[in-house]
Amino acid sequence: MKNVVWILLAASFTIAACNHDDKVSLINDQAALPATFKFDTLGLKVMASFANKKYGTMSVLYANGEGISNAIKGDKKHSAGEVRALVTWGQQDDPSWFGARIPGSLKSVELVKISTNTTGLITAYAKYSGKNLLAAPDTLGQEARIKYILDQQPSIMP
Amino acid sequence: MRRKIAFVAALMLIAFTGLQFIRPKIKNPPVTADIQAPSNVEAILRRACYDCHSNETNLRWYDKIQPVYWQVAAHVNEGREGLNFSDWKNMAPAEQKAKLWESINQVIAGAMPVQNYVMVHPSAKLSKDDLVILKAYVSGMTPVNKPGDTAKINAQMQQLEQWQNAKFTIGKLPIALNGISYMPDYKNWQAISTTNRFDNGTLRVIFGNNIAVNAMKANNIHPWPNGTIFAKVAWDQVEDNEGNIKTGAFKQIEYMIKDDQKYASTMGWGFARFKTTKLIPYGKTALFATECVNCHRPQKDEDFVFTQPIKN
Ligand code: HEC
Ligand code: HEC
Repeated sequence: MKNVVWILLAASFTIAACNHDDKVSLINDQAALPATFKFDTLGLKVMASFANKKYGTMSVLYANGEGISNAIKGDKKHSAGEVRALVTWGQQDDPSWFGARIPGSLKSVELVKISTNTTGLITAYAKYSGKNLLAAPDTLGQEARIKYILDQQPSIMP
Repeated sequence: MRRKIAFVAALMLIAFTGLQFIRPKIKNPPVTADIQAPSNVEAILRRACYDCHSNETNLRWYDKIQPVYWQVAAHVNEGREGLNFSDWKNMAPAEQKAKLWESINQVIAGAMPVQNYVMVHPSAKLSKDDLVILKAYVSGMTPVNKPGDTAKINAQMQQLEQWQNAKFTIGKLPIALNGISYMPDYKNWQAISTTNRFDNGTLRVIFGNNIAVNAMKANNIHPWPNGTIFAKVAWDQVEDNEGNIKTGAFKQIEYMIKDDQKYASTMGWGFARFKTTKLIPYGKTALFATECVNCHRPQKDEDFVFTQPIKN
């Protein structure tokens, strides 16, 4: 009988008994864009998402309305006013799902803006690096980056 | 006074004895499609999971005493419904893999085996070594992307063409069995995270509506306020020779809508999933959301949300 009482008691310590200390943070702080960058004021929408195994990175490519409709058309034509922004993070293992990777520390934001002057379309490129998104002065490989960003296909979103 | 206590005790004894005769049934149907796994993996599952997730429930004498038995029977019947290792081979291979990854994750989160069961059945407790064995086993099932997979690329191109020809324009919005409608406006919401799910070879973007984004800014996400909506889109992974993993065909979109009154029975969230570019509502009955809830339950301390949102 003593046994039974003990078991009944044990059984009544239901969910209350388990409390895990290995809690993960609610917000992904290391991946955050600095508020001072005011990314949300650019008025961009998600255009595509990708990862790179070699570099261990994950990215979201954003574009304004014009950028997205040009991308969907898929004829590689661009128009003045088009803006694209590529946000890239290092990857980390998802602390709450074994089997997934999520953005880790913020690596860069690259901006491509298309406008016109008397000679036709011109493309401006700027790169901001690191946790604080400091303007990166080096222009090495800029042409290749612009091409890479402008060549991306849109992720299909019905 | 003494007599009163004796009377109450006698009443309780009668009630206790009476309870023993009111018994829900736990049947052990024949095992015809048992899981086949390496013996060390199978041994772990048998020891820690089979009492509730197989047709080989082995009740000890103390499990059969009421009122404990009620809870045991509920556990077994509910447990078998979501996952039954005795019916394993009746599931499609992709579903089997998904259930295994889910199982490991429930163990890692401390949600399985059920805590109060482990207290009474200490042999079911899983050690760090057990977990290493289970993790290695599922990791061996990670899908490997074939660089330049033409079948996947073709599926994507077909969808892209439909999109370009405005064939995605939807007349009446599809509605899930619990009344939740597909919401096309998610495309204008903010991305709050993205995931590379190597367990099932998909890429995902998680969007949050304005209420979600404002709640993030105000650090008011524990719990998320009513009106919060998340949309999660999943695509195939398409890999090239450079290690670039891009989104291929659209697979599905899922929503979670916070309303602690309306959706009280599903942890305060309304769940819905729409599959393929035809946006076919998922689920055979409105109870499909039990499946969503069961997998999200280990996140109960995070308001049942997995995603750690990224501010921008
Ligand atoms: C005492 C009974 C019991 C034991 C032992 C147990 N479970 Fe469960 N399990 C349940 C119940 C009840 C549910 C459904 C409700 C819930 O999640 O609490 C469940 C749900 C699950 C689910 C979600 C299934 C779904 O609906 O999609 C998984 C996965 C799971 N268990 C895995 C395991 C694994 C792996 C083990 C062993 C390591 C285990 N369980 C041991 C009772 C049990
Ligand atoms: C096998 C486990 C599992 C099941 C079943 C499941 N989910 Fe999830 N869900 C996840 C994981 C893991 C994430 C985190 C994002 C990611 O990696 O995909 C998630 C994230 C989400 C999100 C984004 C918000 C968040 O919690 O992070 C939504 C919306 C969502 N799920 C909806 C659903 C719906 C609707 C269903 C049922 C039709 C469902 N889920 C069933 C595992 C599951």
